[in-house]
Amino acid sequence: MIMLAKIGLGIVGTLAVAGAYTFRDGVMRVDVDEHHAGGDHVHLWFPAAAVPMVMSAVPDRELAKMSRQAREYMPLARAVAHELGQLPDTTFVEVQDRNEHVRISTHYGAIQIDVTDPDEDVHVLCPLATIEDITQQIAEVRPDEGDNR
Amino acid sequence: MSRNPGKAFRNTSLIAGVVAAATLLLAPFAGYAQSASGGDRWLHVRVVSTDADGETVSVNVPLELAEKVLPAINKKELHDGKVTIDHFDGDGVDFRAVLEAVRNAKDGEFVTVTGKNQEDVRVAKKDGFLLVHVTDNSGHMGHRHHAAEKDADGKGDKDADKHADAKDAKKDTVSHVEVKIPMSVVDAMLGSGKNELDIVAGLHMLAKQGDTELVSVKDEDNTVRIWVDSKNAPAPEGGTR
Repeated sequence: MIMLAKIGLGIVGTLAVAGAYTFRDGVMRVDVDEHHAGGDHVHLWFPAAAVPMVMSAVPDRELAKMSRQAREYMPLARAVAHELGQLPDTTFVEVQDRNEHVRISTHYGAIQIDVTDPDEDVHVLCPLATIEDITQQIAEVRPDEGDNR
Repeated sequence: MSRNPGKAFRNTSLIAGVVAAATLLLAPFAGYAQSASGGDRWLHVRVVSTDADGETVSVNVPLELAEKVLPAINKKELHDGKVTIDHFDGDGVDFRAVLEAVRNAKDGEFVTVTGKNQEDVRVAKKDGFLLVHVTDNSGHMGHRHHAAEKDADGKGDKDADKHADAKDAKKDTVSHVEVKIPMSVVDAMLGSGKNELDIVAGLHMLAKQGDTELVSVKDEDNTVRIWVDSKNAPAPEGGTR
């Protein structure tokens, strides 16, 4: 009985630590709900820690292409993400009219974009640290990398 | 000593495991909690429209963020947080020369222009602030002129014009624009090269000022306010606090 309890404790402990490690960088969340018959409902939640791993699986050629297209904006995006991470939770932009509501805010170290209108609701949550990592990875890729492969 | 050392050990292991997991899970937020201190200055923009859509736009930007991010933008006239005004088309107005002249002048009203279309522009310097006040009555005049042209051409439908005039009369409006910029900010912006405005230096100086309403625009349909304070959310309605 004690042995079973020890095994159970080991499994629970391992799962807890693995879960904590996996979600240490927070969660990326994408929710899309279309308000019409047959409309899509997408609810995607995944650990932000997985993003750098996914990025490393992207072919060099594609990364180089991304780098060429977005290179000039990467330092800006990185600087913004870094600085936003230093600030308290804030709503930076909010637009509200009779039908539509758009909000860009930070929430516990993540940027949150919420769009609500009669046609659809879109909610995106992305940890700022993940944006920093991604922009750094893209900025570090040489634009001509992968062209010769 | 515990009466049951094995149970005590298991309890301790369980607590240690939970604490370790919780620490790992919450670690990303620790830095956030430490850095979420006050003292920052915020630039707020609020646009309230009273038209049918009733649109409200609210933008809140920490000045420090703008100071750090602007130098990262190098595009056209903006580079290293400065705007090059070499080839800036100001309809023949040398803005830098105007600002220099205002900076070196004593307190008082410098420019008062009353135009044909009842637009009134006043530029003044008072108590360390550059003040610009524009009152524009021209909107209604323009509509009437347009209707009169149609009549003169003989192409306009008189009933339609009467209807348009009645509609315009309802829209008759005066727009007020008030700009209030601390002279120290103007000084800081002019501090760099001859053909440049140092926006970052201006923002840095602005951050040192007290709560200030910088721009206020009011007309029939819209109210626009730009102000600086130390709050990271706009006041619900009206003033800066």
